[in-house]
Amino acid sequence: MIELEHLTKSYGDLVAVADLSLRVAEGEVYALLGANGAGKTTALRCLATLLRPTSGSARIAGHDAVREPLEVRRRLGFLAASMGLYQRLSARELLRYFANLNGLQGAAAEARIDEMVDAFDLGEFSERLCGKLSTGQRQRVSIARAVVHDPPALVLDEPTLGLDVLSSEAIFRFVESARARGRAVIFSTHQMSEVELLADRVGVIAGGRLAAEGTVEEIVAAAGEQNLARAFLRIVREAA
Amino acid sequence: MRWGVVRTVLAKELKETLRDRRTLFMMIVIPTLLYPALMVGVEQLTLFGQRRLSEQPAAVAVAGGDPALVAFLRRDSTLHLLPPDRATVRAVRAHRAEAAVVFSPAPADTGGTRRVRVLYDESDDRSQRAHGIVRGKLEAWKDTLLARRLADAGLPSGFATPLAVADSSVATAEETGAYALGRFLPVLLILMTLLGAFYPAIDLAAGEKERGTLETLLTAPVPAREIVTGKFAAVALIGIAAAAANLLSMLLTFQSGVFKFAKAADIKFTLPWSTALLVLVGLVPLAVLFSALFLGIAVRSQSFKEAQNALTPVQLASTLPILVITLPGIDFNAALAAVPVVGIAMMFRALMSGGAPLIPSLVAFGSTVLYAALALHFAAAAFGREDVLFGGGAGAARQGGWRERMAAWRTGPRRVPLAAESLAFVAAIALLYFHAGAALQARLGERGLLASEWGLLFLPVLLLVTAGPFDARRTLALRRPTARGLAAALVIALAGIPLGWAIGWAQLQFLHVPKELFGALEKLVTATDLPRFLWLLLLVALTPAVCEEAVFRGVLFQGLAREERMWRTVAVSALVFGAFHLSGETAIRFLPTAWIGVLMGIVVWRTRSVFGSMLMHFVNNGFAVVVVSRPEVRRLVMSATGEPNWWLVALAPLALAAGVWLLPRREPLTPVRADMVPVDADADTVRPNRPSPELPGEGD
Repeated sequence: MIELEHLTKSYGDLVAVADLSLRVAEGEVYALLGANGAGKTTALRCLATLLRPTSGSARIAGHDAVREPLEVRRRLGFLAASMGLYQRLSARELLRYFANLNGLQGAAAEARIDEMVDAFDLGEFSERLCGKLSTGQRQRVSIARAVVHDPPALVLDEPTLGLDVLSSEAIFRFVESARARGRAVIFSTHQMSEVELLADRVGVIAGGRLAAEGTVEEIVAAAGEQNLARAFLRIVREAA
Repeated sequence: MRWGVVRTVLAKELKETLRDRRTLFMMIVIPTLLYPALMVGVEQLTLFGQRRLSEQPAAVAVAGGDPALVAFLRRDSTLHLLPPDRATVRAVRAHRAEAAVVFSPAPADTGGTRRVRVLYDESDDRSQRAHGIVRGKLEAWKDTLLARRLADAGLPSGFATPLAVADSSVATAEETGAYALGRFLPVLLILMTLLGAFYPAIDLAAGEKERGTLETLLTAPVPAREIVTGKFAAVALIGIAAAAANLLSMLLTFQSGVFKFAKAADIKFTLPWSTALLVLVGLVPLAVLFSALFLGIAVRSQSFKEAQNALTPVQLASTLPILVITLPGIDFNAALAAVPVVGIAMMFRALMSGGAPLIPSLVAFGSTVLYAALALHFAAAAFGREDVLFGGGAGAARQGGWRERMAAWRTGPRRVPLAAESLAFVAAIALLYFHAGAALQARLGERGLLASEWGLLFLPVLLLVTAGPFDARRTLALRRPTARGLAAALVIALAGIPLGWAIGWAQLQFLHVPKELFGALEKLVTATDLPRFLWLLLLVALTPAVCEEAVFRGVLFQGLAREERMWRTVAVSALVFGAFHLSGETAIRFLPTAWIGVLMGIVVWRTRSVFGSMLMHFVNNGFAVVVVSRPEVRRLVMSATGEPNWWLVALAPLALAAGVWLLPRREPLTPVRADMVPVDADADTVRPNRPSPELPGEGD
């Protein structure tokens, strides 16, 4: 469902992502683990059609992000680290806006919005302006926005960044339910606990390159360490 | 374009904007309160100030005056006489006297003239008022003395007044008011329209980027052009609404007749509804122009603050020129009408002053629509460009201080300059040329011109391509020309020359050109003998063909051409080339030069070689020398009055089409390999599927 093939993204002499290849199947959750500046966000932005790869390709459901960006976006739910909520729109208005942009109109859009309000428990604040919401509430609205068109692939860039434990728990539940519904999920993080809790497979990215890939157990075993955190440190040091 | 999506974006943007207090303040509160407050406030303050001044008598010192005159002045309640020792410059400067009257000694004969100096401080309101009062009193005293002398001489009182001149304006109170209104209201109106679009443009572009919402929005299955159209429509609507609110407020303020000042001066400020409606129609493209321009600049900024900083000079540059409408003696003609913003301001002035001429008004409206369309294209081009949306790119990737960055710049891989580098280079040498070149030419004449071309244009180009990280061959398009390419360039040059003359001749119908300028130009390129002819060919044909082509079709054109957008590259380079030929006396050379610049740009684009344009430049300038020097050739191509031979002009497009047809197709710079795919469907650039060592530096 989600494919990166020999993806390279350079800015002049600086190579942000180098020859990165990975695949995420339907019903699979893939964690892209890396330190700050490792190239996680760049890779995910290439997938989300926001950045044009210097070479290689990014595909969603077989559609190329460069040649068929609109087809890719129709099948993609993207959650940016910044959440991306309009401060002067209410949660419901925001969902309606993105539902409309995704081609859902009228009664169909309203039905889907009601569904999202129930699913993410937005009822009590759905008419409140996003600028007035707490961080946790904003993150719930943000996820609802990302999936309002029910996409088969989800790209989440550091979805728990700045969230407390309770809010993070809501994200975990959402990712698990997406997997249960057969969605392909790729998320970036530098939190080992999240990876251990959610990911079916992990890709460790260092210096823009995929330094290791496999299940958590495989990565820990291959690194000869006792846990993921130590394995990650070893992989990153060796890659440097 | 899916208009449903545009409507969705528009509706959302309007909703969000109307919930923003800043915008509402600028749109509704300021305009509805500004005009009444401003007008009534200014009037009240002026009246208050005048009253305060008039309540106190003017303190004036008189030295050397007749006792009778002093008594006359003392009787006047508007004057307070000070001791004579204060009738000095020092006392007036120190504000110990508001004015002083200093009499010279009385003349020996009774019929002589006695000199009187009135000292006052022109930079002081009180002193000015005192001066006015004293002058009035002295004039009255002078009349009294004159009447006495006439009576003593037995002459009638009208003897010294053979003419009694009285001014009487034929303008009605409304016309006088309209004249005054037309000189300041358009400035205010345009300023408020601009401000109406200012904050929404920043908020909808840079603000959205800063808040991270643009990233989210661009992952929706909507093309960037639909988003930018919706956003632009919102900013334009807000700008138009702000303009309409301002106009309505103006109308109501002036229709209310609250101005006591105006009544006293027998002036009536009125703005008929029909005029207001026409002004509103003119404001629409202006609001569109501002909206698109601001949006295009704001989206290229990374934050609200950065956008404000970037837009402030643009705002100033847009508003300062319109002050020209407050100047006397500026006529609303077609040439002025085509100047961005100024044209529409002149149209408003003419409309408010009682009638706008049709042709200049149409030019002002049409050119503003054109500028608005260009600005819209400028805004649309930014959306969807990742370097614009995320900053980033090579500039952001490089770290270190300016020394490190400069060193990294110089030692980087050999490449063609970026568009920004090319433009900065041309701007720098243009400044150098206009200042140092003008001095050289004034000092050394023709030799100075030769030295300017080689020393101030060609030498900097050489320095750039040798000292900078540039590939000289590609930067200067030094590709060996084909015979077909050169033949096509020659045909296009010969076809372009009569059309250039036609453009020049058409301009003369609108633009005033000083005769001395024509004379000087003609003298410069007239050859009287063979050595002079050869010298002129070197000076005005060969030298510019090499030096100017190295700058304009070399560095500038190749830098702009990096983005592989033909028409933009050709148009921008031609406009800059035309602007380079502007002079302080006239703009007459701009369009014909830009025209030949377009043709040379097309040739260089297709052939990837500067030699074709060098040939064209040589032919174009050399032909001018021949035409001016040889009367028989001149008679063939133009009449005695300078009107071009219209047969040649009519045939030129055919020859031009033949020349373009003859031009070879633009070849890719590097061969297209099997593992390369097109980046854009509408561009002939290629992107390697794998990192390619053969395209160094193309990504930066």
